[in-house]
Parts: sequence; structure tokens; C-alpha cells
Amino acid sequence: MMPDSVKDEVKRQLVEALGERGLLWEKADLLPYCKDTYRVRFEDEYRYMPDFVVLPETTEEVKKVVSIAASRKIPLIPKGGGSNRTGMLVPTHGGIVVDTIRMNKLIEISVPDLCVTVQPGMTLKDLGDGLAEHGLWLTQEQGSLKMATVGGAISTSAFSRRHQKYGAMADCVMSLEVVLADGSVLRTGPKVLYTSTGYRLHQLFIGAEGTLGIITEATLRVEPLPEAQEVVLGFFDDFWAAIDAAKRVMASGVDFSGGEAYEIVDHSELRAPPDKKALFYALVHGTKEEVQAVSENLRRTIEGSGGILADHEVANQFLTTYTKQWCGARALTGYEDVLTTYVPMEKMRQYYDTLWNEIAPKYGIEPLPGEKYSLDVGKYRMAGGRYRLPKGDRVWERYQEVLKEIAALATGLGGSVQACHGVGIQHRDNMVLEYSDVALEAMRGIKHLLDPDNIMNPGKKIPEKE
Amino acid sequence: MTSEYDGMLKVAEMCILCRCGCCKDECPMYSEILEESISPKGRNQLVHALLTGLLEPDERAVRIAYSCLLCKRDEYSCTAELRNAEATETLREYLLSVGMPLLPEHQLLVKSLENYGNPWQEPRSSRKRWAKGLKDKKVVPGKTETLFYVGCTFSLDRTLLDSPRALAHLLECAGEDFGLLLEDELCCGSTVKRLGHVQLFQKLRRENEQRIRATGVRRIVTACAGCYKTLSQDYKGLSQDVKVLHSTEYLAELVGSGRLTFKGADIKVTYHDPCHLGRHAEVYDAPRTLLHSVSGLELVEMKTSRELARCCGGGAGVKTAYPEISQKAAVRRIREAEKTGASALVTACPFCMQSLKDAAQSVGSSIDVVELCVFLDRYVECPKEDQR
Repeated sequence: MMPDSVKDEVKRQLVEALGERGLLWEKADLLPYCKDTYRVRFEDEYRYMPDFVVLPETTEEVKKVVSIAASRKIPLIPKGGGSNRTGMLVPTHGGIVVDTIRMNKLIEISVPDLCVTVQPGMTLKDLGDGLAEHGLWLTQEQGSLKMATVGGAISTSAFSRRHQKYGAMADCVMSLEVVLADGSVLRTGPKVLYTSTGYRLHQLFIGAEGTLGIITEATLRVEPLPEAQEVVLGFFDDFWAAIDAAKRVMASGVDFSGGEAYEIVDHSELRAPPDKKALFYALVHGTKEEVQAVSENLRRTIEGSGGILADHEVANQFLTTYTKQWCGARALTGYEDVLTTYVPMEKMRQYYDTLWNEIAPKYGIEPLPGEKYSLDVGKYRMAGGRYRLPKGDRVWERYQEVLKEIAALATGLGGSVQACHGVGIQHRDNMVLEYSDVALEAMRGIKHLLDPDNIMNPGKKIPEKE
Repeated sequence: MTSEYDGMLKVAEMCILCRCGCCKDECPMYSEILEESISPKGRNQLVHALLTGLLEPDERAVRIAYSCLLCKRDEYSCTAELRNAEATETLREYLLSVGMPLLPEHQLLVKSLENYGNPWQEPRSSRKRWAKGLKDKKVVPGKTETLFYVGCTFSLDRTLLDSPRALAHLLECAGEDFGLLLEDELCCGSTVKRLGHVQLFQKLRRENEQRIRATGVRRIVTACAGCYKTLSQDYKGLSQDVKVLHSTEYLAELVGSGRLTFKGADIKVTYHDPCHLGRHAEVYDAPRTLLHSVSGLELVEMKTSRELARCCGGGAGVKTAYPEISQKAAVRRIREAEKTGASALVTACPFCMQSLKDAAQSVGSSIDVVELCVFLDRYVECPKEDQR
């Protein structure tokens, strides 16, 4: 926390830059900005408090805030919807949270060029509504859809359930405007999806977690709203049978949008045969003819893999209910955490066997019912699961050891610590398991070049050099 | 040791464990202000900080506590199904109990209630202003079975007097006998209950209950959605002995039994669910049944309706304390209604009427904002009058 005398002066400057409406400083207002959905050490719930929260509405206002912070080397924590779960929004060094939520304007839509330019604080949901009026859609769909913002989704390199056909957020970004740590405004490149000129600077800011600058404008690739959509749902003997079907679907080259496989909890709701313990569903989008043909192909593959197909009505109801509850299902009710590791397909079984048969008993973690296994099916492979945190002595320490062992397992099998939620502070120190010294040093070099005083979200993403 | 604030603390603790933030989606106050503290999640963190001693109650905490419409919309997005509206009402009670003052904007409402028995600074005699020609309808103890409980806003807001008149006319057309308390009617206490002023609410409740019980009526029909929620849910003893119905439920019964009929109309309308009638009391079908009973009428739903309907921004003291925010919320609703292509936006609550009418006017909307009874009265078939 900064001394009171400095604080008063900074407050005066920030009010001058943004007006009183754009600044929060009272404790009652700062409380919700002291953490994101990351589970900090239990006794540290309110340990990290920002000094200020600013709510800019324009790039110019962001520039002014950054200039004030840069002149005093005050940490800046850029924020979007606030649903992050790895602690990248926790103000571990105090400073100023830059909440971009009021930068929520849709600047420009180009229907012929299939792109949209927006401010970073617009939620994916509002952007979807705005695009639909022009017959377009973003294609991205994630659990935090209702509150996730464009800037947040880019900064966390957000995953999408429809990634197989449409890619993830990283694949949609064409060009960015970023306010750098010295207050200068960077335009990463032309607003085109493809160019063979220049370094691909926009890629640097995808998944950068606000450590390199503050995104103030984004141009994104969009698609025409699909004419039709379908969900194909099949029930299987167990998770591994569902995975075999998923593998066959992927090997067939059929153009599905994405899918998931996991264990069934409630058989009655799905009208699933009692002996079937797992499901695999695939989403299909496109023209009516495409959707019909792809769906039929999927049904054949599912039945050919020993699966029992769900009725059309049941499958649609399943998707509606699942999507409705999806956002909420992200909540970590009680003392839990989730797994979202990237594991190569051929190592999937080895990964889960080691996780639940060796690591879990060692640290006393337990999978939640029906959440022992899950897989986002498609080219970006995310192995999921949810577990109860250890109980007893040294809870926090053992939890950290679990995270490290899981990270070592995933990276040891040729995967990644995180396929979805980023690094933040939760996985920062485990980055050494995934990246070589040379790679980490290159990252530190990039960080130093763009942010020499380390004011952009310090203490996140990249481990400090020993 | 248990305390009356345990429930509120439990909600806060659960929210802190989940902290998903789904409540922010469609929260009418957060959507306008866009500060984390002005969301159910933010308020739950405030409750936790206050009750664990991390934060001393201060003026800002009071402002945050009163920046909520108690609309319950968030509860339909909440993962843990937390009763946030109830917790926020308790938070207001808590802050008053530890000596924090009401917002200055609300103090006038409270003074008016203490002096006049209504929040609108109108003399008690003004309550019968709307009822010219209905003086013979004064309730007769022991004889009147149905009490038409008009409520402060319908009987005292001069722009809304047509609504109780229309309801009285609809009842007459259906041949229904009813009684009125006229100048003896007292505020149900909804306003102060929502502001967390428990003492004044209990005083009003006791007095009101005594007056109503003294009439010996078997049934209370309220015109106002707020009175309906309060009488049916916050007057536990009375509502066990006397049936409390909202006018839409009562009229729908009359339509069902064939006693109330309407002429046809070639019109497209949309219906706004008042929070107190919809999410708080789950009365969604009765108003729609009434609209459908006008043959030829096309009812088109807005993008959000029923459980997920957006709030008009007029409830829980927000319109008084934050008129600009309240109006923005109402304008959003007007825009949503306009998108349906309906020529009329019908609703069944005096506060929704005030908010939506003001908002429509402020943005020059051509949509006709009309109270349900007034709307129905345009098409009612009245055998008595036809005979004349």
C-alpha cells in the first residue's frame, strides 16, 4: 500500500484525469476488487487490497492513468469481467485496478470483411447480441460468457466450446490497440486476419494476462450466423468408451464444432440407460444441409462405437440445460478446485490413472461425484475434472504440492499446465516445468522491453528469476 | 449463539466461496453503474466484511446497501440459489440497527409515513380522491366479504387514479360486490419494509392488520403489486386468516367463470412483469390470461419476460435515491418493449407505471404505457351499462 501523502496526491491526479465517477477509493468499494475467483490462502482473503480502482471509458483516459502510474511506478492491474480463477487480478502489490468494464462500446462492424472492432470491456454476451442484429456471430462460447469481456477473453487466451470448427479467442484476434507501460498507444498491425508483413505483435498480448499493457480496442474475426445447429448426444459404458468414440469422430475429419465427454451424474434427466456411465456430445453448426449431413455422420460413428444415441428432443434439452447452468457450474462451491490441463490424447489414460491412483491418495484430494474425468473434444485438448481440496494439517501447502505434481504430470506427458484458465499466481512458479530457461528468459526480455519498471500486473504469469 | 443476521452472513459466506459473479448478468443496477460493489456479489462481500469486523459501517456502505432494486433477477442466475434480495433487505435493517442513518433522500418518505400514513406527503383525506361516486362502497364490518385494498400510490398519485377506478368498474361489470376503506386505509408498509425500517413497518403492520381484521372481510384484493407482496408475505398472521389476491388473479378467476368478458380488439401488446408480482410472488399467468381474454389481441413477449424479466428500475427506494440510474433502467425496458413492435406496454404495478411512463416520455417513445386494469377497462363488456 502506498503512503497516505502519496495516495492523496495520486487520488487528486486520478480525479483530474477521470472525474470522481471514474475512481473508487473507499474500502467498501475496493473489497470486491481484492480477489478474483482464485482461492487465495484461506487466511489471506482480504490481504491484498488495491489502493484505487479506476473505471476509464476511453483510450485517452487509460493513457492518463498509465502515465500517472508510470511516473510513480505504481502497479496497474487491468481487469475485464473479473471471472478469472488463477489469481491474475489479485493486487498482490497494491496499486491501481484498471477496470475496463465501462469501455463497452461497439466501434465498427464490417459485414463484408467479417470483422468487428470493439472496446475491451464489452461482454461477449452483449457483443453476441450486437452482432446478431447484423446476421453475424462471434463463434466463441465459454462458461463465463455472461460476464467475460473481450479484453479479458483475449488476455486469458480464452477457450471455446466450439474450438474444433471456429478456433479459440486467440484465433479470432486480428488487431489490437494497447496502451503500453509508458503511456504510449500501440496499434499492433492492420485490421486484417492475415498479412505476411511485420511481427505478429497482437499475438504477444493474447494470454499476456495484462502483464505487457492494457488492451483498449480489439478487432475480431466474426462469422455469418449459422443457418442451423444441432447437438448429437450418445451414451457409453464408461468414460473411456466415450473417449474412443470421440477419437473416431476426430479421425473421421467430420466438420463438427466441438464437443465434450464426461461421466453421467443424473441418468433420469437424460433418460440414459442405467448401465451407461458416460456421455459424449458433439455440436454442429452450418447450413441446414451441412448440419444434417454432419449430424448423420456423427450418429453413425457414435453407434458404430457402441454408443446409444439420445433422442433428438432429449439432446436439445440437455444442451439448453447444460448451457444455462454452465456459467454457474464454474463456481467453486466449497473447498474445491478444477483441472483444465492439456494432455495429448494417447496419454490421457496414463494421466488420469496417475492423477487419481497415485497423486490423489498421496495428498488426500478426492474427485467430486461425476467429475473424475472430462474431456473437451477437438483439436485443442483440455482434460478436466474437479476435486475437493486436502483436509487436515498443512492444507494450503499440500494444495500447492498437488498443483505442482499435476503440472509435472501434464507437462511430463508432453502437455501443458493450463489449457483454459491461464497462469496468474496459481501456476506461475510451475511455468519452469513447461518452459526452458531460454524460453523463460526470452519472455522476461519481452516483458522488460515493454514494461521496464514492471508496473503491468507485477508478480503474475512469469516466475521471477532465481 | 444465533442472531437475526445469521441468514445474511450465511448467504455472504456461500457467495464468497462461489464468487462466480453470474449475478452481475442482467443485474439492472450493476448494468448501469458498472462498479463491482453494486452487484449482489459485491454486496455479499460488504456484508461479510461488516459482520467479521473488517469494515466499520460507513456512509459508503449505506449507499451500497441502498443501490439495489431487490428485484431478485440475480437469483435466477445465481449458482448457489442464494436469496440475495432478502439478504440485502436484512443488510439495510442491520445498518439502521447499528445507528447508521437512512439516506437523506429516503428520510422524507419515512417522515411522510409517520405523519400521514403514506409516503407521498398527502393528507389522509386524499386517499378517497380517486373514489368519487363510490362513497357507498365503504366497507361494512361483518357484511363486506371482499376488501379492495387500493394502496398509497394508486390512490394518491394523480397520474394513476384511473387504475383503481378501472378496477372498481371491472368488478362492478362482473357483478362483484366489494368494499373500500377510503380515508381509513393505511399504508401497507412496503416502502419502509424494503428500506429496512423494521420498527416503522411493524407499527404500520399492527395498525393496518387491526383495521382490516375489524372489517371481518374474507378476502383482500390489492391493486398494487407491492401491497400484494407485503400483505401476502409480510403479514404472516393476517394472510393465514384472510385470502390475499392480486387484482390480476381475482379478475382472471372472474374471466374463468365467465363473469367478466371483453370485446375484441385488433392490437399488439407486450406485458412487463412487475418484480413484486412476478419473481417475488410468482404471478405470471394471471395477467397474461386476462390479456388473452381480449379476442384478437396479440400478446408478444419481450426478449426478457416472466422470471427473467428486466426490472423497470423503480423499486426498493432506488427511484427516490438514484433517479438517473432508475430512469436508465426504465429506458432499457422501454427499448426492449419497442423491439417487439407492440403498440402498448401493459403492466400491473403503480411503480412500474411511474417509471416506464416517465422513461417513455423522456425518450419520446410512441409506445402506450398502460396499466392492466385501465387497458382491460377499454374493452370490458358491462351488462349493467348495456341494459341502461
